[in-house]
Order: sequence, then structure tokens, then C-alpha cells
Amino acid sequence: MTENILEIKDLVVHYETDDGVVYAVNGISLAIGKGQTLGLVGETGAGKTTTALSILNLVPNPPGVIKSGEILLDNINMLSLPARELQNVRGKDVAMIFQDPMTALNPVMTIGEQIAESVMLHHKDFSKEDCIERAKEMLRQVGIDDSRAADYPHQLSGGMRQRVVIAIALACNPKLLIADEPTTALDVTIQAQVLALMKQLKQEFNTVMLLITHDLGVVAEVCDEVAVMYAGHIVEKGSAYDVFNHTLHPYTEGLFNSLPNLRERGEELVPIKGMMPDPMQLPTGCVFAPRCPYVMDKCRLGQPELKDHGQSHFVACIAYDSEDFKLRRNS
Amino acid sequence: MWKYILKRLIQMIPAILITSFIIYFSMNLTSGDPAMLVAGEKATPAQVEQVRQELGLNDPIVIRYLKYMGGMIRGDLGTSYVTKQDVFKTFMSRLPATLELSFASVLIAVLVSIPLGIYTAVNQNSWKDTAGMIFALFGVSMPNFWLGLMLIVLFSLNLGWFPSSGRAGFQSLVLPAVTVGLGLAALITRTTRSSMLDVIRQDYMRTARAKGASERRVIYKHGLNNALIPIITVIGLQLSNVLTGSVLAETVFSWPGIGRLIFDHISKRDTPMVTGAIIMCSILMCLVNLVVDIVYAFFDPRIKAQYVQK
Amino acid sequence: METTIEKTKSRSLASETWRRLKKNKGAIIGLIFLVVLVIAALASGFIYDYDTQIIGQNISQRLQRPSSEFWFGTDQVGRDIFARILYGARYSLSISAGSVLIGLITGIILGAVAGFYGGLADDIIMRIADVLYAIPNIMIAVVIVSLLGSSTINLLLALSVSAATSFARITRASVMTIRGQEYIESANAIGMPNWKIILKHVIPNCLSPIIVQVTLLIGTTIIAASSLSFLGIGVPAPAPEWGAMLSEGRDFMRSASYICIIPGLVIMATVLALNLLGDGLRDALDPKMKT
Ligand SMILES: Nc1ncnc2c1ncn2[C@@H]1O[C@H](COP(=O)(O)OP(=O)(O)O)[C@@H](O)[C@H]1O
Ligand SMILES: [Mg+2]
Repeated sequence: MTENILEIKDLVVHYETDDGVVYAVNGISLAIGKGQTLGLVGETGAGKTTTALSILNLVPNPPGVIKSGEILLDNINMLSLPARELQNVRGKDVAMIFQDPMTALNPVMTIGEQIAESVMLHHKDFSKEDCIERAKEMLRQVGIDDSRAADYPHQLSGGMRQRVVIAIALACNPKLLIADEPTTALDVTIQAQVLALMKQLKQEFNTVMLLITHDLGVVAEVCDEVAVMYAGHIVEKGSAYDVFNHTLHPYTEGLFNSLPNLRERGEELVPIKGMMPDPMQLPTGCVFAPRCPYVMDKCRLGQPELKDHGQSHFVACIAYDSEDFKLRRNS
Repeated sequence: MWKYILKRLIQMIPAILITSFIIYFSMNLTSGDPAMLVAGEKATPAQVEQVRQELGLNDPIVIRYLKYMGGMIRGDLGTSYVTKQDVFKTFMSRLPATLELSFASVLIAVLVSIPLGIYTAVNQNSWKDTAGMIFALFGVSMPNFWLGLMLIVLFSLNLGWFPSSGRAGFQSLVLPAVTVGLGLAALITRTTRSSMLDVIRQDYMRTARAKGASERRVIYKHGLNNALIPIITVIGLQLSNVLTGSVLAETVFSWPGIGRLIFDHISKRDTPMVTGAIIMCSILMCLVNLVVDIVYAFFDPRIKAQYVQK
Repeated sequence: METTIEKTKSRSLASETWRRLKKNKGAIIGLIFLVVLVIAALASGFIYDYDTQIIGQNISQRLQRPSSEFWFGTDQVGRDIFARILYGARYSLSISAGSVLIGLITGIILGAVAGFYGGLADDIIMRIADVLYAIPNIMIAVVIVSLLGSSTINLLLALSVSAATSFARITRASVMTIRGQEYIESANAIGMPNWKIILKHVIPNCLSPIIVQVTLLIGTTIIAASSLSFLGIGVPAPAPEWGAMLSEGRDFMRSASYICIIPGLVIMATVLALNLLGDGLRDALDPKMKT
């Protein structure tokens, strides 16, 4: 028994397609404690969405297969739960906000019905009116007038739709809220509003949040802890403060360098050179070695383990085997 | 919505005018001299001329067409050259048989094909999918009249369960309806499957699962409702096809429907009967299309919104 | 220069399509069946004598069940059904392929005219296509054959109508997508006649759907042709057309059901083969559309 709401242990997920096996998630471990927000950061294709779907045991199968690992949601293993109980947990204990609000809503149901459905599925004792009442309340909570409950998704803007998706997710007051790039598809001004709303609702509903993003700015604003993901591996994880101010992994450093810096405008952006490896043919050594500016011969031998570098700040990089290794950013 | 329906009914008028124009002219210009036909083989030239006068065949064809249209407004589609009976009445007397067969077969088709289409889509690439698709492929590859004959051989001649011809009660409807229905089912199954496959990939299906909806609910409530539009389209198309196109099944089972009526009278050069029946069929098909469009609006709010605006 | 690039491109498209098609078991089975059928149909003209063996009656051996001597049995006047089926393939295949070809040519011309000239021409052609599309093709054929009288040529014409409408649609859509694109404008500017543009650009652009549609339509046309013969307005009686054979066998359904069963099975197998090939071609030509 732990205090953690969510614990992922050695999760491995593959997509077994006709063209070959996609090594999407390759043995990651994560935990989120009470009241925390964990940011999961990484480029497109790193395996973030796959990780999130695994938590709900919703990886599309075929082609996706969860090969091994354990996912404990409030000490219940999601991966060994029978279908019926899984349905009871989904939406009630853990809920998810998807990346693209334009496609995440059912086009032929009113938004009111869609929120009410969430309530109805987990409150068998509620009457239909109760569910609709609750749906309207949720709409107000996310800042939409409840007179719009009878609207269909096509009548709403992208930002409003994302609010509806948030309302659906929070309707049953879940213990864990997974938000998969909730603002990526939105206009910049709307992004800020939606983010603020999520922060506020997280407090009100007292839920734990896994926030998936490729935007370090969003992480800085919302998260307590950060895990950096690259090609299916966690390469660095720790408190947001540590990861931002005492960056350890060369990949994380690369992410920061490729970020525009408003205070020092004109400073050159340094993109990480090269591309993410093809997840069907991962390199044999450290997955980041082909792009790493600090690469050494021994990096090509195997994927380094995630090791504690003090104060629960973990890094998967063998350069730290020697005491005096420092990233340029830190020196 | 009512406004929309009214508008569509008014829009039907030019379509019917054009169809009737084409049919009237092509029938009248190609079917030789009807006066000879009506007067009979032994008639003298004078008698033929008299018949021609009576039928007004000496008028220019445009005038005849206008007169014909004038009659149509009053529900008068002329008199058959062959049976000497009122065309409209004859058509109406055949209509119930056609409607009965059409609805029964579409009902069978829907009951078979939609569950099968969903089942194959949900089990995509498994042997269940393959089996279902092979069934559908056989269905579309089979001449429908041959299926009818085979059903007669099996259920009528050998087992004696159902009559092989005629229209007398429910018993006699079974074989024709199954014949036409299975042919349609094959087509609709294929459409349902591909439409469901499209829908299954959609993000909102994942949203529904993430809410905790059961697989059944996800497929039927969220999936099927979204997959219905193309399915309704083929059903509508097929419904208008069977209304006029079941001439083969009607031939095999001696079913007294409209397809057979047109076929029999075409070979006898009975211009008024054929023209009238085809015009009535086109009106019927316009109505079916209208109903299909209204059903669309019922299932898809986006389409409804368009109608209400218009 | 440009043409060589296009040539290599189309060659690699063909070989790539063939490579994908080879993996599709159903399509290959269909293809083999069709090849065998075509060869058998061609050979039947040399093996059998039309007057004595195909239409000549031989009452002494009438209504014999399938056996090692008569694989498919004999019919009500003692003709070998197997021989008639093989010979009949000539009718079914040539009538359906012929009418689809007529439909293909007229459809491409009409679709191109509608697409290129737009306006009134487009309206008229496409409205007529709409009307024809809404009428079951059997009914269209019945009306045309009845009006023009039943002969093989009229049958071909009647059956080509529904093929023409679907090719007109495909071609028109293709013209619409490439019209206004730069290379067409420049082809126009250097005075290339429209028919050349159609041959060089429009048809290659919609080749995939046309190939698929040709395969599938030959199948539906075989069924339509046999249906008309069954109704008695297709290929006239003694000729061993499959539908006509079925129709003649109707009277013997009780005592000799194989007379009816076999031609139907053959029609079904042929159309099935065409459908398998057509579906396979669709997947192979356009892998994105694969379901
Ligand atoms: N359904 C699928 N089939 C095959 N490969 C997939 C599927 N979904 C995701 N992938 C692959 O898995 C890898 C991880 O994808 P994903 O988890 O979506 O990454 P992220 O969310 O970080 O962008 C990618 O290479 C992606 O192409
Ligand atoms: Mg993602």
C-alpha cells in the first residue's frame, strides 16, 4: 500500500502492425502522489498518448499490445481488471481529456447528453433529470451557459468544445485526471484560458493530474513534477524546479535550447539536430545517442537505467557515472 | 421542417415534368402506330382511321403531350390499348403487391445486414469478418432470380413449406421477400461494414470508452448512430430499386407487381399503360428520396441544421 | 524528359500494384478462374461443333444427370450442358465486356465534355446521368430492348447505358480536380487540343477507379445480361447463353433441378471472381483506402 494515486511500473507497449513492431513504450515507471500534478513531456511520437491510454487500459488492440508492466490506480491493477470492473473505473476513478476537441465529441449527440451520459454510467441511482441537472451544473463550472446543453458539438468553437470535454472528464469527480495535450489544438489565447480553468478545477475537485504536453511553458505553469520522455523511455524525472533549474539529461537540455527565450530576444535558437529514431528500429544503445552532443562510445552499448541523482531527481544517462560531468547549460 | 418538406414537394414537380416528358416522347415516337394495334389486325383502313380520330392520334405530338399532362393532373393517365382499362386504376391495383414485397424485403435486408455489417467491422480481419464478407460477396455475385429459383427448388418443391407462386397471404410472401431481401442484404452489409470501420477509428469512440461505456453501448449508441448516414443512403437507393426493379423476382414467383406490369405491357406496345406506370414510379421514387432526406435530418443534427436554414 | 518520368512512374505503379495484388489470395483465385474461363471459352469453338453439339438436339440422351460422360448432365433436348456452358461463356463474357467498353468510351467522352465545358452541357449530361442512375439498370435495359427490338446489338447498347453513367461521373470528377491546375493551363496555352489533354492527363489521373469499375461492372453486366435472357428479351433461344439456359430449365426444376442449378452456379462463380479481382485491385491500387 502506498500513498500514490497512480503508479506505473515497467510498462512496455508495442504496436504490432503489418509493417513491423512499433516499440512505443519501453519499460517506463512513474508515480503521482496525492494532490500532485505530473507533467509528461516529449516530442510527438515519444509514446505519451500510448502511456496515457495504457492507464485506462484503452490501447487500441489490435495493433496495440501491453506486453508487460503494472498500472496501479489507487492500488488497483488496471491491467488485470475484468472488463466490467474496468468500465466502472473508467470515467469514475480516472478520466481523460483528449488532444483534439474537434473530434473528441460525438457529432450526433447534444453536449448535455454527452456529459449526462458520463454521470448516468456511474450513478445508477440517478434519474435522467438528475443526470441532466448535473450536466448543466458541469457546464456552468467550465464556464458555458447551461442553456447550451441542447447544442450539438458543431455549434461550438474549439475552446468551448474542449471545455465540454473537460466537463465530461470531471463529471464524476475522478481521482486521477489525464490531460493529453489539452491545449495543443487551440488558439494561443484560448490555450491560456483553458489551462487556467484546468488549474482551478483541479483544486476544486481535488484531483491528481497527469498533464501530457510537448510545451515546457505549460509544464512550468502547472506542474509540480516533470518526467521527460524520449522514444518510449523516461530519460529524466524530478520536481519541476529541479528539472528546470538543474537540468540533467542532454535531451532535456536540448528541449530548453530549442525554446524561444522572450527575455533575451535575438538569441539564436538551437534545435536538437537529427530526428527521433524510427520506433520500429530503435538504436541498440541509449536511444538519444544518435542525436546527443555529449555522446561517448560506451553510450552505444545499452539503454542506461534511470538513476537517482539526489533529491529524487532521476536521470538515465551514463555520463553521470563520472562525478564531474556537467551539461553546458549548468556550467 | 414542414416548410422544408413543402419546398421539396414543390421541387418534385419539375423533376416529374422532365421525366414524364422524356418517357412520353420516347414511348410515343418508337412504338409504331397504336391505331393499328387498337383496331385489331383485321380492321380496314377506314376503321383504323376512325380509331385514330377517337384516340386523337392525328394531333401533333406536342398537343397530345399537353393533353396528357392535363389529364394527369386530374389523375387520368389514359386507357390501356390492350386491356381497355383505366391506367391509373390498374396501377393502383398492382401497387399494394409491390409495396408489400418491397417493405418485406427491405425489412429482411435490414435485419440481416446491419447486425452482420457491425459484427464484421468490430471483428475486422478475424475469421468472423472473413466469413461475413464472403457471405456478402456471394450475395452480390448471385443472380437474384437464380436465388429465387433455388429457394423454390428447396422450400417449395422439396420441402413443400411455402408456395412457389402467386400472392395469397403471408405464406406466399416469404420466398419472394427472402429472395429480394438477401440480395439487398449483401449490399447493405458491405456498406454497413465500411461505414462502421470508418466510425470505429474516430476519436469520440475513444471518448465514450474512456467515460466507462460498455463496448455494446459504444458500438450501438455512439458508433451506429454515426455510421447510419451512408447506410440510409443505400437503403433508400435500394428501396427505390425494388419498387420498380423487382421484375425478375415477380417473374420467378408470378408476383402481381408493378415491375411485371410494365414488362408485360412494354412488349405489347401498350404506350399509355407503360408511360403512366413509369411516371407513377418516378413520383414514388421522388417520395422515397424525400423520406430518406427527412430520415437523414432525424439522425444527423448537422444535416437538420442545413434544412432548417434553407 | 517529362514523358520518361511519367513512363517510369506508371510502370512502377503497375509493378507495385501487381506486387500488392499478388498478396491478395481472393484476387488471385478470381484472376486464375477468369483466365481459365476465357481460355476454355476460346477453345470451345474448336472442340465443339456449334450446329450439332451446341444447339443440335439429341432426344435419346435427354435429361441425364451429371455423370463422368456428361459432367454437367444433359438438358431437356439432350444437349451436353458442359459444352453449352463453355460455349455460353463466349456470349456472357463478350456481351458484358463489349457493353462495358461501349459504356467506357461514351462515358469518358460525356464526362470529359461535362467537365471541360461546364455550364449547360454539364447540367444536361449530369441531370440525365442522375435520372438514369435512379432507375434500376434492369428497367432501363428492358425499356431499351423492348423499344428497339431484341437483338444482340440492342442488348449491348441497353446494357452499356448504366456503365456509361458511372464512367461519366468518374471522368467528370477527374476533370474537375485537374482543371485549373497549372499544367493543364499551360497545355491549353500551347494549343493542345482537348482530346489530347483528355488522353494524356484526364484518363491517367482516374485510371485506378476506372480499372476497378470496369472489373466490377463486367460482373454486374453479366448478371444483367443473363437476367434479360431469363426474361426472354436477351440473347434468343437456342443460343447457349447462361441466362437463357436457366430460363429453359425452369420447367424441369422438379425432375431435373441441375439444369437450373448449374448455369446459376457458373454465373455466380464468374461474377464472384470478377468481384474478388475488383476488390483486390481497389486495395492494391489505392492502399490508403484499404479497409
Ligand atoms: N494505433 C497505432 N498503430 C501503430 N502505431 C501507433 C499507433 N498509435 C501510435 N503508434 C506509434 O507509437 C508511437 C508512439 O505514439 P504516441 O503514443 O501517440 O506518441 P505521442 O503521444 O508522444 O505523440 C509513435 O511512433 C506512433 O507512430
Ligand atoms: Mg499524442
